[in-house]
Amino acid sequence: MLPRFATLLAGLSLTGVAHAAATHYPLTVDNCGMPQTFAHAPARAVTIGQAGTEMLYALGLGEKLAGTSLWFNHVLPEYKALNDQVPRLADNDPSFEAVVGKRPELVAVQFEWMVGAQGVVATREQFNELKIPTYLLPSDCEGKDNLVGADGTRLQAFQVDSIYKSVSQLAEIFDVQDRGEALNADLKARLDSARQQLAGKDLSNTSALFWFSSADLDIDPYVAGRQGVADFMLRTLGVRNVVESTEEWPTVGWETIAKANPTWLIIARMDRRRFPADDYQKKLEFLHSDPVTQHMDAVKHNRIIILDADAMQAGIRLFRGLQTLSAAFASGKAAQ
Amino acid sequence: MKRLLPCTALALAALLAALFAGTAIGETSVSPSVVYQVLANHLWQAGYPVDPIDAGIIWNYRLPRTLVAAACGAGLATCGVILQALLRNPLAEPYLLGLSAGASTGAVLVGLLGLGGAALSMSGGAFVGAVAAFALVLMLARAAGPSSNNAQVILAGIAGSQLFNALTAFLITKSATAEQARGILFWLLGNLSGVRWPSVGLAVPVALFGLVVCLWHRRTLDAFTFGADSAASLGIAVRRSQLLLISCAALVTAVMVSIVGAIGFVGLVIPHALRLLLGPGHSRLLPASALGGALFLIAADMLSRTLIPGQVIPVGVVTALIGAPVFALILVSRRGRA
Repeated sequence: MLPRFATLLAGLSLTGVAHAAATHYPLTVDNCGMPQTFAHAPARAVTIGQAGTEMLYALGLGEKLAGTSLWFNHVLPEYKALNDQVPRLADNDPSFEAVVGKRPELVAVQFEWMVGAQGVVATREQFNELKIPTYLLPSDCEGKDNLVGADGTRLQAFQVDSIYKSVSQLAEIFDVQDRGEALNADLKARLDSARQQLAGKDLSNTSALFWFSSADLDIDPYVAGRQGVADFMLRTLGVRNVVESTEEWPTVGWETIAKANPTWLIIARMDRRRFPADDYQKKLEFLHSDPVTQHMDAVKHNRIIILDADAMQAGIRLFRGLQTLSAAFASGKAAQ
Repeated sequence: MKRLLPCTALALAALLAALFAGTAIGETSVSPSVVYQVLANHLWQAGYPVDPIDAGIIWNYRLPRTLVAAACGAGLATCGVILQALLRNPLAEPYLLGLSAGASTGAVLVGLLGLGGAALSMSGGAFVGAVAAFALVLMLARAAGPSSNNAQVILAGIAGSQLFNALTAFLITKSATAEQARGILFWLLGNLSGVRWPSVGLAVPVALFGLVVCLWHRRTLDAFTFGADSAASLGIAVRRSQLLLISCAALVTAVMVSIVGAIGFVGLVIPHALRLLLGPGHSRLLPASALGGALFLIAADMLSRTLIPGQVIPVGVVTALIGAPVFALILVSRRGRA
């Protein structure tokens, strides 16, 4: 009797490891200071922001998506077929009615300025009045004040745990917790492999600069400051960011950048074409032709890494970005 | 007249000193001897060995930037003098005629909607917008009444500004994300960071042209100070001179706005300050204002680059921050005397 009971217990705990617990509804999730309650797993969701959209695809929840919006780049190739089936409500911010019209049971939002106190789309209260729960990716609210500064101000440096948290919370909301755990394990493995690749390499004198874009090519560029995602990537890999501002994307003059003379330049590739400098080819052209930047070490030795703009955002692409960077840092040559 | 020579020499010396200071002081520190060596290398092939990055910063970033700051300051201050004299209104300034509002609409149309494709840069858009707004304001003023009526011009300018500002706001709300709006606002607030040599070739001749045209008409401007009727009684072709001088001011301002954005306060404050100090005679006021505007904007630009280390504040913010208190000081200190 006793041994049988023991086997039964062992069996139970084994299934507990292999399959995460099922979600108990009604489920209340405390999200960015606003508890959201789910009576059951959402059958239809709308996303505002590419990071949340791709996170749901990665969780295998694509068929639950009733609409997407706020795109920065093409969707990851592996989700293209799936994404083609989902209506795109807007390339930029969608209207409140376009979102509500899809009768979503969850609105997943990447940035607080879309649904915060001065929400561009609407406030979270407006959605809740219609009994539509919202989920704001914690990476944009934890340790961040979005009412100060144009892109918000990080009070603390970005923490990668906020991404794991959004994966597990979304998995819990949709009752797919085992998929959430698998995805998080995969992301953590990518981060570890990126770090491992640089093990034993002395990077103490290595520095870098992230150039996102510029309002005009000659004008002071938008570069990554000290607290954001891009800086986290450098810190994780042990490389120093030459920009010291604590703003998320400050503008810094080329004079300051040229004098700082970083070992590596990391330039953003994006599909957006609002400013000439959105095109990474234009950025490269500028770096090689400008009378000052052409003398920078990174330009002379072609240590320029082209990185997808989305890899600099708090989303699952960040981990591939880390691998791209570590591969380049490890080989000493620019990978693309 | 016998004081003309020493005054001119003094003015030139002040300008050269300011230009050197503007070139020597910047976001990062470069020693004055290196600055001298770089300038010597370029001006008379002195052949000093200098770090190419330092050389590039001095010759290709700072010098053109300082020269354009001087030209813009001089141009805007000159335009301020013209408009204050012609319109006999103390609030008259270069942007009164809807130019900055028009420039922002033009820049936004290009920057956000991609109007004009690759042929039109944001600067080009700003110039076209400024000229379009000016043309509209001028037509409105004409339609509203006789051109000798200053109030019509000012009111038409306000109407034009409001219209174009509303258009800009509409375009930004309709099609910009926060990040794009920030880029455009930064640009509109006035920014000298993107200035390179080609801008010098545009800004300096235009500023000089504006100054020469005005000096040529200095007697006319003197006469207008007493009103269009007095000017007419002195035998001046009122309508023709007014149109010529206002158009000249608009052209100069439009060029400056398209290069550096709408830098406020220079065109309003500098002419007033110098009129309080030197009196209303335009033969002295015009060159003095041009010089004052140039020195003021060079100084403001230097501050904008050094106030927060590693970051640049829009120069328009700095001009307002220094301009407003300095102007207040002059106003108060002249109380009862003017």
